[in-house]
Amino acid sequence: MIYCERVHKKYGKVRALHNVSISCGKGEILGLVGANGAGKTTLFKILLGLVTADSGEVEIAGDGAKKIGGIIEKPALYPYLNAHENLRLFAKMQGANSSKQDVEASLEQVGLPLNRTDPVRNFSMGMKQRLGIAVALLNNPSCLLLDEPFSGLDPLGIEALKQLILDLTQQTQMTILISSHIIDVLSTVCTNLSIIHNGEIVQTGATSTILAACTTSYSLCGSDIKKASFLSDYDTVSNGDCMTISASATEISDIIFKLSQQQIAITSCRPVLDLQQLFNPKEK
Amino acid sequence: MRLLYIETYKLFRQSRTYYAILALFFIEAIVLLSAYYQGTGIIDIVLANLKDTFYFQGKLLNGNLIIYFILNSFWFHVPLLCMIIVSGMLTTEYQEKTLQTVFMQPVVKWKYLLAKYIVASLFTIFLVLLLALTSFILSYGIFGKGDLVVYTNGLTFFEHDDAFYRLVYAFLFGTLSLVFFSVVSLTLAVLLKESFKTWIAAALFLIVSTLLLKIDLGNEVWNQIAFFKLNNTWQYFFNHDIEWNTIIINSVLMGLYILVTMLVGLFLFQKKDIG
Amino acid sequence: MKLHGILLLFLYAANGFSQTAEEQVLFVKSRLDSIETFQADIKLHVDISFIKMPDKEALAVFKKGEDVVIKSEDFVLIPKRGLDLSFSELFEYPFMVVDRGEVEGQSTSLLAISILPSDNKADFSVANLHIDTQKQRITWAEINTKKDGAYTLRLTYPDSQAILPTKLDVSFEMDRIRIPLNFAGSDVSIDRKKIRAADQKTGKIRLALKYRNIEKTQ
Repeated sequence: MIYCERVHKKYGKVRALHNVSISCGKGEILGLVGANGAGKTTLFKILLGLVTADSGEVEIAGDGAKKIGGIIEKPALYPYLNAHENLRLFAKMQGANSSKQDVEASLEQVGLPLNRTDPVRNFSMGMKQRLGIAVALLNNPSCLLLDEPFSGLDPLGIEALKQLILDLTQQTQMTILISSHIIDVLSTVCTNLSIIHNGEIVQTGATSTILAACTTSYSLCGSDIKKASFLSDYDTVSNGDCMTISASATEISDIIFKLSQQQIAITSCRPVLDLQQLFNPKEK
Repeated sequence: MRLLYIETYKLFRQSRTYYAILALFFIEAIVLLSAYYQGTGIIDIVLANLKDTFYFQGKLLNGNLIIYFILNSFWFHVPLLCMIIVSGMLTTEYQEKTLQTVFMQPVVKWKYLLAKYIVASLFTIFLVLLLALTSFILSYGIFGKGDLVVYTNGLTFFEHDDAFYRLVYAFLFGTLSLVFFSVVSLTLAVLLKESFKTWIAAALFLIVSTLLLKIDLGNEVWNQIAFFKLNNTWQYFFNHDIEWNTIIINSVLMGLYILVTMLVGLFLFQKKDIG
Repeated sequence: MKLHGILLLFLYAANGFSQTAEEQVLFVKSRLDSIETFQADIKLHVDISFIKMPDKEALAVFKKGEDVVIKSEDFVLIPKRGLDLSFSELFEYPFMVVDRGEVEGQSTSLLAISILPSDNKADFSVANLHIDTQKQRITWAEINTKKDGAYTLRLTYPDSQAILPTKLDVSFEMDRIRIPLNFAGSDVSIDRKKIRAADQKTGKIRLALKYRNIEKTQ
């Protein structure tokens, strides 16, 4: 379990975090959404014990010597060592098992090849992320913090990482906290979301609830979508084969039904979030 | 012990460590050559007006004199290179953010840095031993044995056996100064974090210490105990009568300076946030 | 010269006649001339204020008519002057002897004389000697060379019969030594005042001689 209450942190005159409280239970994946500079990384550093909060309470519950593991920003590994050596080194320094079998098991867990012996500086970002997670998982922590894990990854890499995270939760009931500014990805992984803006948590709740509350339009794509004459009744913006339609969740279902009746094929339907609503929910 | 092993492992897995060792050997070779060519001239000048009164039998330009020249030239480039390597043990971890990864594991901060201090000290001692060993082997191998002549307020001659032990002791006790500079550079790395800033500060510290060595502080106590005055303790081995009391006191003081510098570094590191 | 020596020996053997200073010198000279060769193990002790050197061992080889050869495995400082135990350089050219009278020795009375070379080719201007008239040998000498300054010799003999000394102190003048600064150790404080204040220094080399073999003329 990860829990913090009323955490404050200032760097000089700059307020990094103000009255931040979050909670993430066992087996839960909590997404922390915020723009760049919102305070996500600072919060993670406090939770990981790298930085001391000015005030507030932090609690990481778990068994074993290592309660929490994580990655801050990009995974930081020794570039002149290969994957095996990095894992062995980090395992050894904390007294964890560092035998060849244990290292190979860690690599397999994150989907890294066992036969790669070149130094980590040659790895792609996706491989580095995986190795970073393998290091974070050393010594079997009960909590995992991933700060911007999807940034710099290609679509395949993002999918692979998402699957890894889901597998970890299912297999080990690990508590996972992920931060990102890419809401689309987080929404498919996280059970709950906390939105952070200017160092403050502005809203927390189930992912579906939060996203529904901030969705005021949808982007529908289809090659013949412009032929749907009934769409002129709605507030729309056309963009090639796609059309952004201002509609609620209920209305969009009707729209899709009518389009299917007119045999107009839809290739995608994506909610368009009102970011203003997301980050300033009080200003409606 | 685990952390000591890890620090040693990291140090010797990085190519820059080997570049530094090679650089030191290259410099040693240059010093050896210049000592050889310069040594003949210097001996001629030193003994110039003794030649009016004496004949000389035997050669003074021998392995002992070459080692003595190497020893004299030791006290700037060796600590400078040591400081660069040692400070890099921490600054590269800040730069590459591996320090964050380390402290996301259950590792105690001050123990981690203490391991770096210990490995840095051992590495410095290792370097000095390596350089001393090669100096002795090359110098004796190429230039042979013989009496050592030094100038310390007069000409002092040491027979080969005596000279050998004095040179060995000079290297051993002089190593303490080098360890001090290494420890200082690591403490500077704790304060400054960035590589270039730390190198500049370390070089400045070394230069100022070397300059202050010759300054009279006007107070006998300070002249005895100021750390920059202790850096030439090795020279006492080339007085005719070795002042063991002074050497031991200076060495103990230097040991204390090393400890205090380490404690300052450990305290600051423990207090500071990472990242 | 040889005839002169024989005559003096006869006179000495007659033992009833006193000798002039010149006669004394010539007799001592003849004794010294009788040494053909010798080899001696020597221990050299350097007693110079600004030089600290451990005692050195060497082998001295003397052959009449040649310079003494010193052989050593170590580095040794060999004084240019004073190793000529036969004092041949004093007698190489014609000379005058001046009697300076008697002086008190440790356990005997000594005759003080000056030797003045008559020939300009001689490389000394005046040599002052103390001669032990009973044992017929030189115990002290002060030789003023034309080019190399003055030096003194103090000779100590093992017994009353010995011609060659077992202890020899050679004292000489030395200029200040000039030291290149970059030779000095990195923190040598050169006491310039002390160096300037020092007058011309004197130095001494002490030799202890242990003769292996001495060959004399028959």
